[in-house]
Amino acid sequence: MTDRGTPKWRRRAALGLAVAAGLGLAAPARAQLEERLVIITSFSKDVTEPYAKAFMAAHPGVKVEILNRNTTAGVAYVRETRSNPPDVFWASAPDAFEVLKKGKLLEAYKPAAPGIAEKVGTFPINDPEGFFFGFAASGYGIMYNTRYVKANELPTPKEWADLKKPVYFGHIGISAPSRSGTTHLTVENILQAQGWEKGWATLLEIGGNLVQVSDRSFGVPDAVNSGQYGLGIVIDFFGLSAKASGFPVEFVYPGETAIVPANVGIIAGAKNPKAARAFIEFLLSDAGQKILLDPKISRLPVKPAMYANAPAGYPNPFKDTALGSRVSFDSLLSEGRYELVNSLYDRLVTFRLKELNAAWKAIHTAEAALAKKANAEGAKLVVEARRLASTVPINEADANNKDIAGAFQPVSKDKKPGQRQAEFEERWDAHAKKNYAEAKALADKAAAMAK
Amino acid sequence: MSGTSGVDVERVTFGYGATPVLDDVSLEIAAGEFFAFLGPSGSGKTTLLRLIAGFGTPTTGRIRVGARDITDLPPWSRNVGMVFQNYALWPHMTVAENVAFGLEMRKVGRAERDKRVAEALAMVGLDALAARRPAQLSGGQQQRVALARTLVIQPEVLLLDEPLSNLDAKLRVEMRAELVSLQRKTGLTTIYVTHDQEEANATAHRMAVLDGGRIQQVGAPLELYDRPANRFVAGFLGAANLLEGELAGSTFRHSSGLTFDLAEGSAQARPILMVRPQNLVLAPAPSGMGVIRHREHLGAVLRYAIDAGGARLVAECPYRAGEPVYGEGDRVALSVRPGGGALLPA
Amino acid sequence: MVALEAPLAARRVGLLRRWGVSPAQLALAVLIVAFLTAFLIVPVSRVMVAAFEGPTGFTLVHFGDFFRTSLFLESFFNSLYVAVGAVVLASLLAVPCAYFLARFDFKGAGLIQALGVVPLVMPPFVGAVAMQLIFGRNGTVNLLLNDWFGFRIPFMEGLNGVIFVEALHYFPFILLNLSASLANIDSSMEESAQNLGARGWTLFRRIVFPLAMPGYVAGAALVFVKVFDDLGTPLLLSQTNLLAPQAYLRITSVGLNDPMGYVISAILVAFSLMAMAASGLITRGRDYATQQRGGGGLARRPLVGWRKTVAWSFIILVVVLSLSPHVGILLLSFATVWSFSPLPDAFTIKHYATVFADSAHMMGNTLLYCGLAATIDVVLGVSIAYLVARTRLPGRRLLDGLVMASLAVPGLVLGIGILRTYYGVELPGGVPLATFWGMLVIGYAIRRLPYALRACDAALKQVHESLEEAAENLGAGKLTALRRIVVPLITGGMLAGFVTSFATAAVELSETLLLVTRDVDAPISYGIYVYMQSPAGRGPGAALGVIAVIVVALGAWFSHRIAERERLRRGRGGTA
Repeated sequence: MTDRGTPKWRRRAALGLAVAAGLGLAAPARAQLEERLVIITSFSKDVTEPYAKAFMAAHPGVKVEILNRNTTAGVAYVRETRSNPPDVFWASAPDAFEVLKKGKLLEAYKPAAPGIAEKVGTFPINDPEGFFFGFAASGYGIMYNTRYVKANELPTPKEWADLKKPVYFGHIGISAPSRSGTTHLTVENILQAQGWEKGWATLLEIGGNLVQVSDRSFGVPDAVNSGQYGLGIVIDFFGLSAKASGFPVEFVYPGETAIVPANVGIIAGAKNPKAARAFIEFLLSDAGQKILLDPKISRLPVKPAMYANAPAGYPNPFKDTALGSRVSFDSLLSEGRYELVNSLYDRLVTFRLKELNAAWKAIHTAEAALAKKANAEGAKLVVEARRLASTVPINEADANNKDIAGAFQPVSKDKKPGQRQAEFEERWDAHAKKNYAEAKALADKAAAMAK
Repeated sequence: MSGTSGVDVERVTFGYGATPVLDDVSLEIAAGEFFAFLGPSGSGKTTLLRLIAGFGTPTTGRIRVGARDITDLPPWSRNVGMVFQNYALWPHMTVAENVAFGLEMRKVGRAERDKRVAEALAMVGLDALAARRPAQLSGGQQQRVALARTLVIQPEVLLLDEPLSNLDAKLRVEMRAELVSLQRKTGLTTIYVTHDQEEANATAHRMAVLDGGRIQQVGAPLELYDRPANRFVAGFLGAANLLEGELAGSTFRHSSGLTFDLAEGSAQARPILMVRPQNLVLAPAPSGMGVIRHREHLGAVLRYAIDAGGARLVAECPYRAGEPVYGEGDRVALSVRPGGGALLPA
Repeated sequence: MVALEAPLAARRVGLLRRWGVSPAQLALAVLIVAFLTAFLIVPVSRVMVAAFEGPTGFTLVHFGDFFRTSLFLESFFNSLYVAVGAVVLASLLAVPCAYFLARFDFKGAGLIQALGVVPLVMPPFVGAVAMQLIFGRNGTVNLLLNDWFGFRIPFMEGLNGVIFVEALHYFPFILLNLSASLANIDSSMEESAQNLGARGWTLFRRIVFPLAMPGYVAGAALVFVKVFDDLGTPLLLSQTNLLAPQAYLRITSVGLNDPMGYVISAILVAFSLMAMAASGLITRGRDYATQQRGGGGLARRPLVGWRKTVAWSFIILVVVLSLSPHVGILLLSFATVWSFSPLPDAFTIKHYATVFADSAHMMGNTLLYCGLAATIDVVLGVSIAYLVARTRLPGRRLLDGLVMASLAVPGLVLGIGILRTYYGVELPGGVPLATFWGMLVIGYAIRRLPYALRACDAALKQVHESLEEAAENLGAGKLTALRRIVVPLITGGMLAGFVTSFATAAVELSETLLLVTRDVDAPISYGIYVYMQSPAGRGPGAALGVIAVIVVALGAWFSHRIAERERLRRGRGGTA
């Protein structure tokens, strides 16, 4: 493990946890809690209701009010209601918590609950500075509709690389990393696992097979559940809970998955801080962690001991070393280029999906033709076409360059005037359009040669 | 508020931009008078009427009803009743509701209101149709409802905007007579806008002829007919022979050589002579200056088109026993019936 | 009067005179401007200001970037293409329907008219899922086509797919406004044309349609702007290269608080305004006010023979097409699992049980909020249309434009703006004003005001001014004349506006998500959102969607009944 992976604060935090637990801070203190607890969450009713009920049963004096918001609206709401904020922010997307933290909208806290793991896979469960805490883990993977797969005679996918196969052309959906913090982590995970250039090549080749880049995370499982397309790149609980609800779907974790925590945090200036803390302690308690195993929720507890009660076959990232531990995730690297990667993906895939599809379709066709009837010159053209359709227009050093990546971050007073986001985006868009068109032309030419 | 009042329009100008719709218009209409605004379309007559009703405010000038200066009063405070050209009956109300509306606005009690509505409808002979809606009425009936609706509020002045223009010819004559008798009965000051001189002649005590936003002449119908102030009035009120020429004493000489002896003189050296066709006297004369070009038989009257040395004239002669009848090509001598010619400024 | 006051009073009178307004009208105008300022201009400006902010303060560089970015230009032309296409297709659907309904005696015309509103009620998420399940590439239609004939129709693919879905969704705007206009045509207009030898298509093309033009243009302009600004459908079809989705995606990306989203929004607003202004130019100077009879609509004829078949077939086709998503929602609400099959696997009523147990209060909330919002819209709509048409108040067209601009304001922007502006303002008792449910009502009302305004405006254009003047002449003040004469005469247009506002507010989500602060205050749309976030919630979400549709359809049907009664009363055939 690198230093970065286990910084000093983490050890201290762990110590603090142990001390707090030893002092019995987690003991119920219902007499002192406030009467209300207002929670902003992006979680569905299936998740929030059991928790609200169980929490109120444990603390009869507290009335829990759940405000359902998608992550964007939730962040905007917290930001705009500073004068009289809700108490708890509870959501999947780690990036939303980063935004809130940067905006000084979260309050630091040290949960006292014992037995919580420090990391899931290689990903730290809690915010290093104690502003938000993982209460459950989830991993990205591939969800597929069994009826669809059968009807279209598709093989069952196992790894990300499988999704590059021509057979999946027009059968895969994903949500845009700019729209889904968890997809972003998957993308970043692939980039870190395979390296910048190769990672993008994989993403673009998979991109060639995509039928949809959804603007919301749940759009993908929705479409797979309905059978609009067969495969979706989704977070595990979407797949697991859909299966539990009776949909004909299956879910697989590829080898290079990111297991990431879903988080909770106390909002700065919360009117009911005691109840907020009690809620977090409840989430991390045995009672709270157990609720995660509910098939409708299907999230992975962050308390390794809980897996003893899990049904057979329930994924356990703390035991199953294949899950999420292959990649050592560098969260500082990820944070620095967060907006840039999102924007780049949108330019290269989301907004040019039609062109990307066309290029890869042509490449697949040419390769199929060449397989039947070899043609050296044609093969060369296809190699060039592949290169064009899978090249990223910015190298890793530039992408990690603070000044360039900074152009994609929110306007702030101290931001140096330099190149603007719009200029990069225009360049990348032009790159994508031109390369994809050329790739298609070359592949078409190659296919013609193999006739 | 009861009783009728005169209307005093004082130097009213109205309109935007270079060409005002009304230009320095002054008028005094006496209480109880039936007064007509006569003019072609675009002459400003309807605009003047609407200003009196309060739809628009004069750019300059004042309008008084009786002793009240109403220039700055809104329409609803004027108590000046107006019947619109299209009647403007409210299609969503019954006849009775239409008529009752003004009384409602005046906060007249229910019982009194019903009584007055019934009276007003009886007055226009529509008491049986009180429960109908406007769309179910004929044009004439709609007109009567509009009238009843206006009269029921007992306005100080009644304004009628081309009230007969939407009716057929026969109905028009009937309604005209009804309007006149109604006005004579009530003595209500009435202003009547029309472009039809026959209507104005038939109804009005006095009238104002408007053209181009200016008043051309004000007077009793006969006065205007016989002594028009200018070519426009002369022509607008009926057929007129207009001849330019010179006046020497009481003898008018047209450039063609045609001369007329008139009963009067004029200060103007080169006036225009206006002679109504019926005031042109024809006499058989083989050496006369006039040649009959065309003859029309109109029943009681014979109309001749005459060429007199280049001047084209129209004469109308009664068709009765003992009078000569001329044929085309006949030569006639022309003279003006005493007092039958008027001299207009050139 | 004190001598000093005289000139002042005179000047005041002079100004009012120049503007052609009474003091009451002026007060009305001031109230409206205050309302719009407080709940539209200020909140939206506080958010949109980001479009003009650079590192060193005010800048227009972002607008320059917009025009230098080929993706945005491409998006702009795509949006234009889609909007024009949707207007054309929506007209093809709506114009014949409106004509048949106005022209012929239909049994069940009221039902059809009410159904005509239903396409506007596309509940969030459920609507999208149902649409895909019916028309999607593996939806019912395509699965069956593929089984039977071995091909599929790409209803929901590409820009043309967007046009298809948008037209099905928004054609009621044209239907409603055109129907209101047709109902106001004096039958004598038509009769005189028939008398001169015009009939059939010629009669429609030369006389009837031109007379109903204000309604058609009002509806078509709404469709154009709405489609141009719409993001729901493009996102549903994953067509992101359009302006509205570009703006939305940029504004809502977490952590990406970049100015470009607001720049695009500003451009959307500007272009929408231009489109509305153009539609205003088309109808300006055409005095279609019905004279004396006050309308009553075309003479109805019984439908017989092949015409009957054609008319019915067409209407049924339109109804089936436009209601398919709703049938889909209905099926979904009774479905256990529905996946990759023409119909659900099995049926159940348990979703309704869930909904009635958990979310019954939401139905009452939706009725209350949307009813209030639609009422506000109609009151404001009539007032504004009236001020624009009947006074010379300076800036009155600006007022009209301002309202229409709200059509292009993203709900999210208004929602954030309202929170930002009113969260700090506290009601008695320390509750922030922004969390009071009334703000949700105002938010709904603001963004739907354009519908009511256009409907009222079109109706008002058909009321001859002399009808009001007659009332004034008889002693009614401006406001009394408005209340007693104008309002009853434009009931049809007002109801159309009410229904449109109500229907679209009932399924609004973006503002709802920001402004709902307590579960007890939540409307149906919020409930649908919450359910639709999990696979198990699909059924209950659909059940709530069905309830929303039923609520709106009932409202529309009652409105139609009222409008029809009014029409009959005013027509020649009616009895008192």
